[in-house]
Amino acid sequence: MLSWSSNEEGSPADVATIATGDGNAGLPHWAALVAFAQAIAGWDDQALAEARARLVGEAGDAFMVDAAAVAANFEMMTRVADGTGARHSPATAEQRGEIGRRLGVDGFTSAR
Amino acid sequence: MTAAVRADLTAAHEASLRHVASPGARLTAEQRVRIADVAIAAYLDPEPSPPWVRPYGDPALDLAYRLGRHAGTITATWHEQLIVEGLHPLEWVEVVGVVVAAVAPVAFARAVGNPLPVVPAAMAGEPTGREAAELAPATLNWVPVAAPADRTASVVQALSALPDEVDNMWRLAEAQYMGNAAMSDPRWNRGTLSRPQMELVAGRLSFLRECFF
Repeated sequence: MLSWSSNEEGSPADVATIATGDGNAGLPHWAALVAFAQAIAGWDDQALAEARARLVGEAGDAFMVDAAAVAANFEMMTRVADGTGARHSPATAEQRGEIGRRLGVDGFTSAR
Repeated sequence: MTAAVRADLTAAHEASLRHVASPGARLTAEQRVRIADVAIAAYLDPEPSPPWVRPYGDPALDLAYRLGRHAGTITATWHEQLIVEGLHPLEWVEVVGVVVAAVAPVAFARAVGNPLPVVPAAMAGEPTGREAAELAPATLNWVPVAAPADRTASVVQALSALPDEVDNMWRLAEAQYMGNAAMSDPRWNRGTLSRPQMELVAGRLSFLRECFF
């Protein structure tokens, strides 16, 4: 979805940032967004407070709130997928093959 | 200081927690609240049990715990084990629906630094029995889904056996992310994050949760 949406917007993002957390996603505020997502996925409340403050400082309160909402949505959707044994259809799996291998997600326990 | 939150987002989270505390298709409201509390505790646990430990010795509660904290480790074998132990396949679906309904509002509040919401007291009433008119086995999910199976993406059909859980999931998705109709528009946004910025957050978080999807 990152690759598709950024290509459609005319400024392709580096999808490897999803796996590495570094590099340059080529998007405004990408580093602060990645740090915020990582802090939400982690369990260090101080690190989360710092990442939140950094994102607010760069992009404002409403931007941070909407980024948090997206993260909450994927706390939901990852559990829907993992809890119901969701897998891709063969056609989708073929389309995603290269990106999946590049990101290394095919080795996850959840990859079925 | 409390972060200002969009009214539609607050309403969706409050509705989701009321949904948790309501009688479900197969589970009582008391059972659903207990499942939600276990999942929230697991999500926030500073020293969680390893994924293979079953802290409760109860299929529904152990599923809630593992899904709350170690969702990416759940396997088909473990699913089959809990079904053999007596957890009905639609109860499994309902537990998933309850866990995601409870964890999402808590995850959001924690992320923005607001007070964590509390699941309301269980409401009175018997389980509703509300299930899809016809169920079918799926090849894209472990769980039974509304017939016909495998005509939509697996995450879309995942909870379709229980319409109330599907409705709540979409209510949350529309407020937190976007509605189904906007998914195919790469330029859709709320005036804050661009679509690629949204996908960066979604992708990084999903990767760190070890969700291949």
